[in-house]
Amino acid sequence: MNRGLALVSVLLFALSLMVGDSVFGSAPLSIMVDIRLPRSALAWLVGAGLGLSGAVLQGALRNRLADPGLLGVSGMAGLGSVIVFYWGWSQAFAPALPIGGLVGAGLGVAFLLVFAGRAPSGSALILAGVAVSALSASAMALALTLAPNPFALAEITFWLLGGLEDRSLTHLALAAPPMLCGMAILLRLGTGLDALSLGEDAAASLGVRVDSVLRLAAIGTALTVGAGAAVAGGIGFVGLIVPHVLRPFVGERPGGLLVASLFVGGCLLTLADMLVRVVPLLLPVAQTPPLGVITALLGAPILILLARKAAP
Amino acid sequence: MRLLVALLALILTAIGGPARAADRVVSLNLCTDQMLVLLAPERIAALSTLARDPTLSFVAEQAERFPTVRASAEAVLRLRPDLVLGTRFGARTTLALLERQGVEVVRTDLPQDFPAIRDWIRLLAERLRQVERGEALIAAMDAELVGSVGQATHPPNAVAMQPRGYTSGPGSLMDAVLRAAELANASGGRRMSAETLLRHPPDILVLPVAPAHPSLATAMLRTPAFAAIPTRYYRPAWTICAGPFTGRAVEALRR
Repeated sequence: MNRGLALVSVLLFALSLMVGDSVFGSAPLSIMVDIRLPRSALAWLVGAGLGLSGAVLQGALRNRLADPGLLGVSGMAGLGSVIVFYWGWSQAFAPALPIGGLVGAGLGVAFLLVFAGRAPSGSALILAGVAVSALSASAMALALTLAPNPFALAEITFWLLGGLEDRSLTHLALAAPPMLCGMAILLRLGTGLDALSLGEDAAASLGVRVDSVLRLAAIGTALTVGAGAAVAGGIGFVGLIVPHVLRPFVGERPGGLLVASLFVGGCLLTLADMLVRVVPLLLPVAQTPPLGVITALLGAPILILLARKAAP
Repeated sequence: MRLLVALLALILTAIGGPARAADRVVSLNLCTDQMLVLLAPERIAALSTLARDPTLSFVAEQAERFPTVRASAEAVLRLRPDLVLGTRFGARTTLALLERQGVEVVRTDLPQDFPAIRDWIRLLAERLRQVERGEALIAAMDAELVGSVGQATHPPNAVAMQPRGYTSGPGSLMDAVLRAAELANASGGRRMSAETLLRHPPDILVLPVAPAHPSLATAMLRTPAFAAIPTRYYRPAWTICAGPFTGRAVEALRR
């Protein structure tokens, strides 16, 4: 199955390279390399990172509603990036951008794990996440209001809803290394997460070091989601829907979901970003919709379905 | 009790602002701010807050010396101006409120080409009773425009790209600047993606210099792939508002 998903990923990536923002089909090499390659690669990477970290968070927190967007990890990453970007730190030192993102994401995910350790129930954790999410969004709006560039406040749509427009090879070079490191860390957590699904005590009795699994989950999530949000803004719902779509096919075991979530997340966001670029070619509209709008339109109904299923 | 109220009122009016001096002028728009600084700095009661921003304002340094005011009728009234400068479309409700309070308001249309800039300078110079300074500003601008008749036989194609990828179409101030700099404007004033620009590269790309503080809108103008197109730069403060300093943009783009 994973081999099939990898093949689909490659095909979608190739197709994505063929979709320009004004025409279908191939283009001169410089356009392919400088414009379409970074956009397509980032779409797959960011989606894969969100899908994978969603699957890991759902396993680690033992809560099926866990998602980097819903729990405010993406929002905190955006807040960190906004501060670093608009005050010119990333202009002076380019890697400051992903660093700002992953520091923000790290703070968010660390708070959630500490809170989860003491949370009386799964819904308390989700409520805390919603609070972090709201807090980060308003702090971001405040930061953009105070930012010294007059365009800043209008750019809140990018930081809240994401986008891959005008992303260059520089952005890819900045975001890819931390994201790949994070993914490598998260992909190795399978056995630990499987054990953890039996409960912390049972996992410990199986010789799994629960603390270290949770810590690695936090670090891996901060790296993938943080660096991703720094260059693509806050894209929601990918981490929520991907594991849910996959469970009927892959099974309930959290460890078994990881690789499949990585591929399906990448494919989903590649498709969504292609849709964003195709809309102005098919419909008479001047503006392209933000990327996060597409994923939210897909994800929100699934969230409602989940809520109905969970209701007694 | 009545005495107390009277005293309080007296103190409040004293705090309210300095005594009425002759001919105090407030400007509520970046463009009129700059003209006021250039034509009649001794009469300034307040400028808009943007006047001090060096990326937007040609007179940012001089503007530091003057008070600023937000476009709020109450804040402006407290300054007791004799004249308020604004534009036809900015701060409409504030200007209407001020007029109702008996303050003289001058609303002007912002010029979009060089003949209109000359007319605009003359109009404001007359209202501020500084006709000679106005003529001197026009003469200085015309000296910078000398040599550009805008009639080269084969002018190179140019695209002037603004933040977020918007281009300057016909009828805009930047279009007038390009023509005066002997460049043919190859854009229609619509938004242009990086890919479209690279697919149909102009002979010359015209960009604003990078601002001191970044934004996504201005960062996209620094897309690395644009380096393949010959680029000429201008300071946005020269063209955000039309003025005698707009001649500098022509000089910078002409070469």
